[in-house]
Amino acid sequence: MSQLREPAFDRVVALVLRVGAFGCFFIMLAGLLMGLFVDSHVPGDIERAGVLLMLATPVVRVLVAGVLFLREKDWKYGAISFGVLAILLLGAVFGIGEH
Amino acid sequence: MLTVLLVLLGFFAGLLGAMTGIGGGVLLSPILALHFGIPIREAIGTSLVAVITTSAASSSVHLQRHTTDIRLGMTLELATSLGAAVTAYLVGYFNRNVLEGLFAGFLLYSSITILLRGGKIRNEEVAEVNGDGETVIPPYEPQRYPLGLGASLFAGGLSGLLGIGGGPIKVPVMYIFMNVPLMVATATSNFMIGVTAAASAIVYYRRGDILVGLAAPLAVGVFLGSLLGARLAPRIHTKYVVYLLVAIMLYLAGHLFVHLLTGKAA
Repeated sequence: MSQLREPAFDRVVALVLRVGAFGCFFIMLAGLLMGLFVDSHVPGDIERAGVLLMLATPVVRVLVAGVLFLREKDWKYGAISFGVLAILLLGAVFGIGEH
Repeated sequence: MLTVLLVLLGFFAGLLGAMTGIGGGVLLSPILALHFGIPIREAIGTSLVAVITTSAASSSVHLQRHTTDIRLGMTLELATSLGAAVTAYLVGYFNRNVLEGLFAGFLLYSSITILLRGGKIRNEEVAEVNGDGETVIPPYEPQRYPLGLGASLFAGGLSGLLGIGGGPIKVPVMYIFMNVPLMVATATSNFMIGVTAAASAIVYYRRGDILVGLAAPLAVGVFLGSLLGARLAPRIHTKYVVYLLVAIMLYLAGHLFVHLLTGKAA
């Protein structure tokens, strides 16, 4: 059996990635353009928000896919998704190697 | 001025990346290190943001064509993200020379591999199209998961170490050993890159190794460049673009070696 062909599932996950990519693009672009005219910390803060949103996009994608799997009662892949999420969040919690 | 230069650099890397299938991250970190005077670790962390941007944008397109195997991707991501997070931690203890040496070695190895294959980066597979213009994918069942997970752990580790996507490792493993159609392997590898890069980018960010003021203009440029590159790819003889890419990679490898030996940019 092929594991492909779940159009609705694909569409939702694609939407998350698209909103993340386009959203971050416009936020970062706004920060850059503002930086040309405004001399304060605000443009830098906007850019930082864009970068952080970009880092968060794959995390949200894993979370959304995990919830979709659970809603389909696909426990195995739901568990796998939350395993990936745990690895991602561990990196955010433990800052080993900081200096 | 610096901002404009970084947008252009990102645009160029994104364009080449989308046209050849080799991600822009391979070029961005050494250029940042050699020509912008950024320490290599910060250069790697910064270009990871651009890698995530590319993956998110391109994989949303693949997903809408329904060629991505989300279950397979998610399973292998267990290994890629673990490998990426672990090496991202370890990088904190590496000194600059080790990283630059590894990066130069990786660039040299990739260039030689591409040249030996006669300028072909990926195996092209002609997609079958049905009456409705939809791509048809033959039924398949992924096999040899332990091997796939092992290779993914390695690819993820390399990604966290050098800030690259690792597609050239994952795609052949899925295609040859796991019995996954090439088109699905390519789309799924692309899908996995975002999460893999995020796993290490989060660690880099916490350590202060992502320079936001550089990452934002680079990501903006990469985003535009890969959009254009994806449109141009079918119309241009990619072989010449690939040779251009190899030339740049060899130049960067040589430059990194000189930088290592003399302690300053050539």
